[in-house]
Amino acid sequence: MRDPYEILDINKSASRDEIKRAYKKLAKQYHPDQYNDNPLKDLAEERMREVNEAYDYLMKNTTDSFGSNSYNTSYNNNSSHNNSSYNYNANNNNHTSNNYQPIRMDLNNGNLHGAEQKLNSIKTRDAEWNYLMGMLFMKKGWHDSAHNYITTAYNLNPSNIEYRNAFNQLKRQNHTYRQNYYGKQTRDNDMCDLCVKLWCADTFCECMGGDLISCL
Amino acid sequence: MFGYVTPCKMELKIKDYEKFKAYYCGLCVAIKNNFGNVPRLALNYDMTFLAVLLDSLSEDKRSLKKSNCVIHPLKKRILIVDNKALNYSAFCNVILAYYKLLDDVDDKNSVKAKVFSKVLNTYIKNENIKLQPVKIYIKDRLNDLRKIELSDEVKSLDEISHPFADLTGYIISFYYREKSFNQSLYWLGYNLGKWIYIIDAWDDLEKDMHINKKGLIHSHLNKKGLIHGQQKKFNAIDASLNKDKLQYKEFAKLIEDRIDFVLTTCAHHSLQYLNKLTLNKNEDLLYNILQLGLMEKMNSVFKRSEVNNERPL
Repeated sequence: MRDPYEILDINKSASRDEIKRAYKKLAKQYHPDQYNDNPLKDLAEERMREVNEAYDYLMKNTTDSFGSNSYNTSYNNNSSHNNSSYNYNANNNNHTSNNYQPIRMDLNNGNLHGAEQKLNSIKTRDAEWNYLMGMLFMKKGWHDSAHNYITTAYNLNPSNIEYRNAFNQLKRQNHTYRQNYYGKQTRDNDMCDLCVKLWCADTFCECMGGDLISCL
Repeated sequence: MFGYVTPCKMELKIKDYEKFKAYYCGLCVAIKNNFGNVPRLALNYDMTFLAVLLDSLSEDKRSLKKSNCVIHPLKKRILIVDNKALNYSAFCNVILAYYKLLDDVDDKNSVKAKVFSKVLNTYIKNENIKLQPVKIYIKDRLNDLRKIELSDEVKSLDEISHPFADLTGYIISFYYREKSFNQSLYWLGYNLGKWIYIIDAWDDLEKDMHINKKGLIHSHLNKKGLIHGQQKKFNAIDASLNKDKLQYKEFAKLIEDRIDFVLTTCAHHSLQYLNKLTLNKNEDLLYNILQLGLMEKMNSVFKRSEVNNERPL
């Protein structure tokens, strides 16, 4: 990882408050919401990830008078304002995510049965629960259910990058697949096409007083 | 339920087109040699795909032959002979056709299905012992499907399509059950099976809903819910997604995108799994089918295509 201070563009002596302020500013700047159809979207997402990592790292490793208590309260305040990706990062420090850790491991190891049992036993169905449910069904090849759960997760917490990526991924892969077919149909570049283009070019040249192809 | 997996003819090279035809004719002859002449009527394109796929993974050389055909007596055709993958596909073709007919007997009380299934049964009595597990698996999964269709419980589209998808995965992967790429084959089949099941349900949706509507009116009259001896028709999409009991037109408009999404995702995934396999032959043909053929079929079923009266190859 690059120097976290450099990423957040702050002094090495910055306090937690300053770090937070810098993070919020950058989070706003790179927030994927602003890059919906923008070609820079991938770049912004990557920067966002870097910023998130740097922030997480600094928050864990910087101690000052505020201590972790104040950090947790500030998280709660923020979540009530529904404050975007800040919320997601703080989630990692939240105790509920601990319940999901073994499920994520199961999913990664391919123990789908175990993951499904654990998920079904959880009563609170928040965004993370829906996301993991979606991941589980995706692995099972149950695409319709997977799509439903991931959409729900995304709607519950649109600022979470992981949910957003999964949601967009579903759309994107179908788009690529379709493009294969449509790309073939529109790519009718034949000789006739080439001749028309040459003729056009020649006409334009002649308009300007020059000549591209003398026999035309 | 058969005949959705076909190549996109316009994008095929002539050699691949001829190859596909050779497999098709080869499958027909393989059915004749293994079972007899009558079961040849059950021949279909999906099983030709199965043969093309399974053969592409084997390292054996193909042997081609030019020969006459009963149905097309004037022209000599090229066909593939003595091929293990074709023999296996012939077996699957006949068994699946048989159980499909039994299904129709239960479903529609169709006399034609009754007669044909009886006849077919006499042909499949002396089949290969090694393939017995496939037969049992097909029977069990189709029974599962039947149970789901008959139960009143509302199930999700994924749940309903699971038995058929699993069945397809099993059939495709059974042939190479001892090989390491067996799982990729299973998932290719699983996604393709789901695709077949759902596109079939979507294709029949209007017809099925129409029959059910008529059935509903008639059931007030004769209490049995039978119209001309025909029972209520089960349609996976109608059963799982039409919670508000909408009319066909409204309902179709509402779910079209969702079905399109599921189908495209299934097609995309089956292509992904094809990518993981090491193909020894037929590569262009297989990619054509999974990449363009499926898409073309979706366009024609969703009525997006430019061509209206498409004829089979």
